[in-house]
Amino acid sequence: MDPPLVDATSFSAANPPSYTLSEIWPFSAIDGDPAGSGGVAGAGLGLRVGNLGPGFGERDGSAEESTVTEQSGGGGGNVKKRRDLSSEEESSKLVSTTVSGSELNGSNGKRQKVSGNRNEINNPKTETETSSATNNKPAEQSSTQSEPPKQDYIHVRARRGQATDSHSLAERARREKISERMKILQDLVPGCNKVIGKALVLDEIINYIQSLQRQVEFLSMKLEAVNSRMNMNPIIEGFHQKEFGAQPFDATGLMFGSQATREYAQGSQAEWLHMQVGGGFDRAA
Amino acid sequence: MSPQRLSLNPRSLKSRFTKGFLRSLRKIHKERPTSTSPREIFQRYRKVKTAADKSLASAVGSGRAWSRAMLCKCKNQGKRRPVLVRRINNNRAMKRSELTEKKSGDDDEEVGFDQASGLRKLVPGGQAMDLCRLLEEAAHYIKCLNTQVQVMRCIADCYTT
Repeated sequence: MDPPLVDATSFSAANPPSYTLSEIWPFSAIDGDPAGSGGVAGAGLGLRVGNLGPGFGERDGSAEESTVTEQSGGGGGNVKKRRDLSSEEESSKLVSTTVSGSELNGSNGKRQKVSGNRNEINNPKTETETSSATNNKPAEQSSTQSEPPKQDYIHVRARRGQATDSHSLAERARREKISERMKILQDLVPGCNKVIGKALVLDEIINYIQSLQRQVEFLSMKLEAVNSRMNMNPIIEGFHQKEFGAQPFDATGLMFGSQATREYAQGSQAEWLHMQVGGGFDRAA
Repeated sequence: MSPQRLSLNPRSLKSRFTKGFLRSLRKIHKERPTSTSPREIFQRYRKVKTAADKSLASAVGSGRAWSRAMLCKCKNQGKRRPVLVRRINNNRAMKRSELTEKKSGDDDEEVGFDQASGLRKLVPGGQAMDLCRLLEEAAHYIKCLNTQVQVMRCIADCYTT
């Protein structure tokens, strides 16, 4: 999967006369698609260029695979970005071969460049030196398009290729979601902000939910006792009307009531709970 | 606590829950319990508890997975069909095991398996959720439980005066 191998095989097989490339390439790099621009340049340069079209297409595919392994360490992007990158890189490759005259030197130089600065593959110096000014425009455009996602996602796992890459992207998004939710939960549960570690935080959350559920059970026991013992209908009606009116004073009234009668309520709950425990035993037996 | 109680919005979850819960409490009260045997008391307690859960879930509506699961549970609880319940439990257990097999690599490295399964048991309908959804539903469930406890305490205190 090394770039020089792909370059050596497909390059020599597809186009033996490599000198024409220096003339072809500035045209074909304008729209960034070698296969498509082969036809455009073919009108100007004749039959030989037309033969080069499929060769370009093939090499685009193979070079894409090879460059993905090199670049995916830098980050995960979409397919289009990679195609841009690979075509741009290929352009630099081709130009450098024409300049140096030997394929091996050119590919080596390119490879050093790729390993040296991965983030700035789009603006190779050999390309700016050798090719015309029109060649730089698409390179800059593609670099501006592809750099923001690169900075957002930096993975270690994204080294294997495209499928793993998108998967790890999704994985990362999921992780972020989970930690976000955990933060929300931490804010909800009192005293949970000081706890460090997800497992401990979840323990706190579980304890809190359990305590709330127990409180609900206890309160429903209490309500059952109160409800069956007394004749509560007037209170219910009053409460109900107040609730319908939704005026603030009912809440204050409830608060005052709760503070005044807390003692009595606790006292009555104690004896009443014994009954409930007895009931539970009876049911179990 | 007190400023939350003071602001009472008629459309809020709290007032909707209060309305529904008081209605069902009155219904339970109208049945005129005569006996004070522990079994009757226990049954009435179950009724009140179910009413509290049901009115909370219906106040939340069917937009949340936990409220849907809770409504479903309340419905099944009233019918008392052991065979059906067992089959549903088996189904759930099966689904759960499939889910854990599929997701064990992902979820368990995030949080401990014990914690996740404990949370699944507590949040209604949590058996069939993935971890992300479970946390989201748990957050909403905690909020609603808080509201429920507040309102029920208010009502109980109001009754005991």
